[in-house]
Amino acid sequence: MPTPPALTRRQVLRLSATLALAVAGGSTLAACGNDKSALTGNQTNVSDYDKIIAGGPVAEAAAVDGNAWAAKIKAAGTLKTGGSDAGPLFSMKDPSTGKITGFDAGLAQLLSRYITGKADGPIALSITTVDTRETLIQNGTVDTVFATYSITPARAKKVAFAGPYYRSGDAIMVKSDNTTITSVKDLDGKRIATQQGSTTADRIAKDAPGAKVSLFPDDAQCLAALKTGRVDAYVIDQGILISNASTDTTLKVVGEPFSDDYYGIGVTRDDPSAKEFVNAWLTAIEADGSWAKLWKATIGTVVAGDAPAPPKIGSVEGS
Amino acid sequence: MITVLQDNLGALWQGVLTTLAITALAFLSSVLLGTLVAVFRVSPIPPLRLVGAVYVEIFRNIPLLALLILVAYGLPEVGISLSLFTTAVLSLALVSAAFACETVRAGINGVPVGQAEAARALGLTFTQSLARVILPQALRTMVQPLVNIFIGVALGSSLAAAVSVGELTYQAQQVGNRTAEAMLLFGISALVYVVIALLGGGLGSVLERRLAVRR
Repeated sequence: MPTPPALTRRQVLRLSATLALAVAGGSTLAACGNDKSALTGNQTNVSDYDKIIAGGPVAEAAAVDGNAWAAKIKAAGTLKTGGSDAGPLFSMKDPSTGKITGFDAGLAQLLSRYITGKADGPIALSITTVDTRETLIQNGTVDTVFATYSITPARAKKVAFAGPYYRSGDAIMVKSDNTTITSVKDLDGKRIATQQGSTTADRIAKDAPGAKVSLFPDDAQCLAALKTGRVDAYVIDQGILISNASTDTTLKVVGEPFSDDYYGIGVTRDDPSAKEFVNAWLTAIEADGSWAKLWKATIGTVVAGDAPAPPKIGSVEGS
Repeated sequence: MITVLQDNLGALWQGVLTTLAITALAFLSSVLLGTLVAVFRVSPIPPLRLVGAVYVEIFRNIPLLALLILVAYGLPEVGISLSLFTTAVLSLALVSAAFACETVRAGINGVPVGQAEAARALGLTFTQSLARVILPQALRTMVQPLVNIFIGVALGSSLAAAVSVGELTYQAQQVGNRTAEAMLLFGISALVYVVIALLGGGLGSVLERRLAVRR
């Protein structure tokens, strides 16, 4: 005998999203972010993506062998890299295939391809958090960190930054029915969510000093805070916000990006050849179009228009 | 390293105060609620005993982090939106009360049955014999297990950082991230937790000596 449904379909969906969050827990506990694509979606086109990696440039053998840092990675046959598996557009795991794709993940594979010459650009990913990035580079657990890693002078004292390889601009996301927030000035006096470890909080403090900023561990929790009304707005890189809004009509992105934030590739400071080599690789993929193609296949799936010009290498304090 | 500390002492101190506030409120609530549930569990009324048992089995077996996130983001879905500070205190208290309940119950069961029989023979009701005869004696054996629960609450409060409560771990993470000194800050916060736990243990020992029966 069928019983009448106690919950509407919508309620069930929302509840299961909440449970997925609960299961995922704080991503400070790393590696448990697989279920989050239920909330954020992952739109990277995988077959194009694999072609871009396979079509990436390969360094001349002499260049690799002549560089102590790169020669070690070539001998190991894989690039040990640090990053996320729960960062939409940049490094996100597809729970059905286990494959991690995104702009950061793709760049790590392109660097691996450049050094090892292998078509699939093998990487061994360690999940890093904002608490562990510097330490894992310093103690040699990872060769590189690709993790929407903002270049700051304080961090540059611990690790060397190759790049910058990407210019991020923070934008504002609110609920669709919100009409009071349209630009960064309107954030004054409002409750704002952003991700821990981003440099966004400092910028909001400057541009909207009356704003109350709460920092949450990852994208999924920031979204949950916004949707449940704990905060009035969510501020982070525009691409991430557009990606979120594209899968959820109850949210919208308002205004234009109001800041510049430059992402770098973290490598060891102990061996200057590391930064030198990664910068040479970055120059190569920017020149041959791989950088732009990867942008188009990842961030470009939600941000309209052609790939922007990459930022000038070494142009940021700390890089 | 020293300047990192000097520049951020305000934020860290704020974190320590918040941790102490969460710990104190959650511990006191959990002892009160735990005692109530324990009374349910030893009461002569079967439905109350069932309620007590179900409570313990639910809250003893949910990971604190899951409960925190459910209270923080799940309850607003059904119209109950608590502040994040309240969320932390409530979640910690609910979980710890389950453990406190079992501690209190073990304490009650540790009091010789003759005491309860004597109280009943004197004409005391269930509540009277519990409040005047059994619990005061049970408390003596419960002090050290309660210290364990206090320490569990103090250390468990660090999980509140995951839902953006500005306690010690959260502040240490923010400062660590801003200054790229995460390991230093985690080290410092670990030390502060050790001090809080030691103070709890010390208070427990004092209380234990005070309550000891002099024979």
